[in-house]
Amino acid sequence: MQRRKLIAIAATVVVLAPIAWFWQRSLVPDNLSPMAMGYADYGGGPQMAAEHAEHGRELTTLTGPAERRPDVVVRLVARKERFEIAGRGSVEGYTLNHSSPGPEVRARQGDLVEVTLVNESVKDGMTLHWHGVDVPAAEDGVAGVTQDAVMPGKSFVYRFVVRDAGTYWYHSHQQSHEQVRDGLWGPLVVTSAKSGRDLLAAVHTYDKIRTVNGGYGERRTEVAPGTAVRVRLINTDNGPMTSWVDGAPYQVVAVDGTEVNQPSLVTGKSVLATAGGRVDLLLTVPSDGTAVRIGLGGGPTTLVVGPRGGVAPSSPSAPADRVDLLSYGKPAPIGFDPEHADRRFEYRIGRRLGLYNGKPGLWWTINGHQYPDVPMFVVAQGDVVRMTVRNTSGQVHPMHLHGHHVVVLSRNGVAATGSPWRVDSLNVEDGESYEIAFLADNPGIWMDHCHNLPHAAQGLVTHLMYEGITTPYRINGHTKNNPE
Amino acid sequence: MKATYRVLAMLIAAGVVLQAMFIAFAWFTAIKDMDDGLVIDKNYDGNIGHTLHGQVGMMVIPILALLLLIVSFFAHLAGGVKWAAIVFGLVVLQIVLAFLSFAAPAVGALHGLNAFAVLGTAAYAGRRAAVQMKVPEATMVPGAGVTP
Repeated sequence: MQRRKLIAIAATVVVLAPIAWFWQRSLVPDNLSPMAMGYADYGGGPQMAAEHAEHGRELTTLTGPAERRPDVVVRLVARKERFEIAGRGSVEGYTLNHSSPGPEVRARQGDLVEVTLVNESVKDGMTLHWHGVDVPAAEDGVAGVTQDAVMPGKSFVYRFVVRDAGTYWYHSHQQSHEQVRDGLWGPLVVTSAKSGRDLLAAVHTYDKIRTVNGGYGERRTEVAPGTAVRVRLINTDNGPMTSWVDGAPYQVVAVDGTEVNQPSLVTGKSVLATAGGRVDLLLTVPSDGTAVRIGLGGGPTTLVVGPRGGVAPSSPSAPADRVDLLSYGKPAPIGFDPEHADRRFEYRIGRRLGLYNGKPGLWWTINGHQYPDVPMFVVAQGDVVRMTVRNTSGQVHPMHLHGHHVVVLSRNGVAATGSPWRVDSLNVEDGESYEIAFLADNPGIWMDHCHNLPHAAQGLVTHLMYEGITTPYRINGHTKNNPE
Repeated sequence: MKATYRVLAMLIAAGVVLQAMFIAFAWFTAIKDMDDGLVIDKNYDGNIGHTLHGQVGMMVIPILALLLLIVSFFAHLAGGVKWAAIVFGLVVLQIVLAFLSFAAPAVGALHGLNAFAVLGTAAYAGRRAAVQMKVPEATMVPGAGVTP
């Protein structure tokens, strides 16, 4: 009898031991420093000497100008409450100044923007990240990396100069996969003398339904016949969105806050805005009194632009043909030479069956490693960096690098021949591979993650780190920082 | 232990029934939501039915199957370990089939079919335990189980 019991216990151990081992190994540690996590990947460049770190700079000192008077001053108060979606009714979620989206922040190129975030009632704390704006590192708004989450009753001041005109947006980077979805976001527009007349088409899905500028169904913006207007398309959702224009040809004049060089006129084609991405479309409202309709991924929500009562044509689905930014527009100098790169990185996105933080599932990997044991891409200021982003994970990933814009060199081995295609949010389909390059000109610790925010929460996150930069902030632990 | 074995086996069988209910509920909800303005694209991550199906399928049933296997080592049921192992193996297969189905949806049909195998084997294992519980252990002979 005793022997049978021993055999049973031994069998239990044999079954449980490997499970317990894999389970324990998959746990994400508490109080994780972004500096200590994963393993350093130097991309073939020089490795930083240990003594170098002591002469390093703390990220908190990399702020916007402290002395200068701000040109744009905004106060955003975050609350958990019900709010109204025009054309639909009210939903429960989060607001900024009692609305979602939050108020449009509008500045001119070169302005110093000062935003005071006041968290009134967002229980888990929150931050604001300036998506696409290459701000100094301490202003980047990532909980656990560049600041602590702003808890209820607390506030935080962001100050940064907007050097590049373009279409951007802001959103919380604390529990972002829930907080952004439920309303903590808003548009940010930086104009220049060349911007011209513009209007927003900021798309977001609330409680299953897609909205534009916070409204559901056919939304109208009145614009007089014959007027040229720049439509600033912002995709704040988790998946790529196809957009198109019925009733007028258009030009893609800017992508992710960078003007396209010599954009050609487009008819009968759609354009893709990936998750987190922005595309500016320039179109002219017809002079015959009709309006144009901007299709936003299909479904009931569209934006009609034209005179009051002007009828807009409507095609139910996106044109199959799509503007390919790899060959759209005309080449121009990019300002650095990617042929002489100081570092070359690989960002291979895969997926495997296993455990993540104790939970079984099919989880994302970066270069075969699972979060937090992922490569940290280490660079030095001034480096020319090349990166190959390869996706074999079975799903599309909108990859977002903070603090920088990257230039697309090639896709699947086909070299870019159009206008410099500069992005902060890159749509990488399953099976695709992109060669990208950027100049490491903004010291800090920068998230480089998938902007399908649930994917980021599942561990599709790593960092770009500048040598010698340290951060006192921690992920998880008593600070409750949880950036994804 | 025999009673625990029986209860666990029956819970797994019941779990499979729940899974069928959840997934039907999920897709009828999705269809209704579509009439109400929902667009199903890359941005859609399912509804409560999908969430329940995922949680029961990825956590509850695998844990029950694992417990069944461990309990079987102690329960001294004729064929108890064998049938618990078969149930556990089929549950693992069910998860693998689910993940293969994202890339090859036709495999999803096998996921549906294998669900019946999990249900059938779990119910059979539970019934064997129930029958053996009525027979005093002393009179048990190896291989004894459900008489047809």
